[in-house]
Amino acid sequence: MGTTITKEQNTEAANAAVENLTARFSDAGVTSEVVAHTGGKKYDFVRITCKPEQWVAVAKHLRHELGVNHCAMITGTHFPEGSAERGWEVAYHLHRWPIMNVKPHTMMVHEGEKLAGDLIPMEFEVFIPLPAGDSPSVPSIQDIWEGADWNEKETWDLVGIDFSGHVNMHRVLNPHDSPAGFHPLQKQHKIRYHDFNEMYDDPQGYARKPVDEGRVK
Amino acid sequence: MAEMWITMGPQHPMTHGLWTLRVKVDGETVTDTEAELGYIHRGVEKICEARDFTQITPYCDRLCYVSAMTWSHSYVMAAEDLLEAEVPERAEYIRLMAAELQRLASHLMWLGAFGPDIGNLTLMTWCLRDREMFLDLLQELGGSRMHYNYQRIGGVKRDIPIGWADRMKAKIKLFEHRINEYEMLLDESTIWLVRLQGVGYATAEDQINAGVTGPNIRAAGVNTDARWTNPYSVYDQVDWEPAVEKPTSVKGADCYDRYRVRMEEMRQSCKMLLDAIEKIPGGSNTHYQPEDEMILTKAPSRAPEGATGFSTYECTRGVSNFYLQGGGEGRGKHPYRVSIRSPMFITIPYVAKTMIGYKVADIPAIMGSFDPCIGETDR
Repeated sequence: MGTTITKEQNTEAANAAVENLTARFSDAGVTSEVVAHTGGKKYDFVRITCKPEQWVAVAKHLRHELGVNHCAMITGTHFPEGSAERGWEVAYHLHRWPIMNVKPHTMMVHEGEKLAGDLIPMEFEVFIPLPAGDSPSVPSIQDIWEGADWNEKETWDLVGIDFSGHVNMHRVLNPHDSPAGFHPLQKQHKIRYHDFNEMYDDPQGYARKPVDEGRVK
Repeated sequence: MAEMWITMGPQHPMTHGLWTLRVKVDGETVTDTEAELGYIHRGVEKICEARDFTQITPYCDRLCYVSAMTWSHSYVMAAEDLLEAEVPERAEYIRLMAAELQRLASHLMWLGAFGPDIGNLTLMTWCLRDREMFLDLLQELGGSRMHYNYQRIGGVKRDIPIGWADRMKAKIKLFEHRINEYEMLLDESTIWLVRLQGVGYATAEDQINAGVTGPNIRAAGVNTDARWTNPYSVYDQVDWEPAVEKPTSVKGADCYDRYRVRMEEMRQSCKMLLDAIEKIPGGSNTHYQPEDEMILTKAPSRAPEGATGFSTYECTRGVSNFYLQGGGEGRGKHPYRVSIRSPMFITIPYVAKTMIGYKVADIPAIMGSFDPCIGETDR
């Protein structure tokens, strides 16, 4: 049988993490809760919502107190029709995995069922809503997780969220000479099939036209 | 001697795709590096916003042309999380087998491309010969050789054909001997050992902090693997152990360890496949019709307002994540935002920095040992 993490371990770790975060940050208005996935094995994860100015403190706490050692991905989302407080949102997905350096010629073979405490793998999701406007900005966490570096570059490049304090920010996926202020995943940029049910309404594709046809993109 | 910048790529045998490595050299020694990506950025995330949840699967196949099955599997897991779909157990077994066959094919493609980097051209022909066996098996499932479009939200497209189980078992048994042949070819080759041992050290903690995952971490001596740390599918029911290698130095794993761990991982995949085909519910030699409830559950096509879906998946090169935001009624059957984490996008800048201090001739060995794939990197 393959080793695995049991549902009990997972629930226990999620509750412990939320308890820890609530004790430390509930006064500051950071909310943390245990949420269960609705697909797959329906495991629990921790969802945190905080303000941009609290984010560095929360990130350091996660890194150093809760042992979150992996910044998996950073997702920026543009909500042009959202509320004034949530015109943009940045979602961080972080993981805690039991990874330590080992001595040469040895290895560390964890048995999932026997892990306890901060060694139990756990998934963290951090939402940071940003106010509507032209200059969404969150503090950079480049120096907390090195892996956040290129994730932040990508999020700025594609979505246009500014990571204040980020060193050496540059285009990574778009061409280096893209015009300043061009961030293709913002919702005002449409590709020609956007909001268009072409499979059913227009199988031949005659009506497909880019909405900004004729204008310089 | 004066330092100078040289540009390797976008067309260079070392790159395994289209990207540029700018290297600052002092004589033969690398003193600084800079990775440039984005040559084949297709905007998959933007395209997906204009597609139905079901129409996105083929785009995810095309993220990585070497391991398409694992990417579409990762996507449908996130979509099932978003749409609250259930998957029948037989379909989970079929998905597991498809993903592990894909892992074998992908690791063979890696080994086949890595061999010529090191100077062993025989390896390319051997690996592509054996990869063909697994592509044939996957073709029987999905209908094509590389981009299968086989996973469905809530199950799989088709059941395994009659006789597939026997063909698979025969090929796996043959391949287990072939792995031994590879090891005889490589582990006793002085050139192979000299080029790989003592080159490209990376420790486990550095790598995880930099976002490197998958076999590259396991080579550094820790058996972390999303297949057991973030359980999905039926990996807890089949017989396997995560491949793990003992690093050779306090500086961590070298290129040779990363090669060893992938060979071991192929053995584990074989073990898993042979076990899964025995345990599959409904029998290994039965064929259910498409859309039978044994292999597919009908999934809702519209996402609830404010719902999100997330998947953590052990892809062949590391952990891939999908994050989906559903838009409620206003967006119809389309997601509001699709975000993809590609393991190589984070790994390549890290690897570029690990090359500092080694010789220019070590660059292909270091880069190749991390198994880059540019299709998923640039998305």
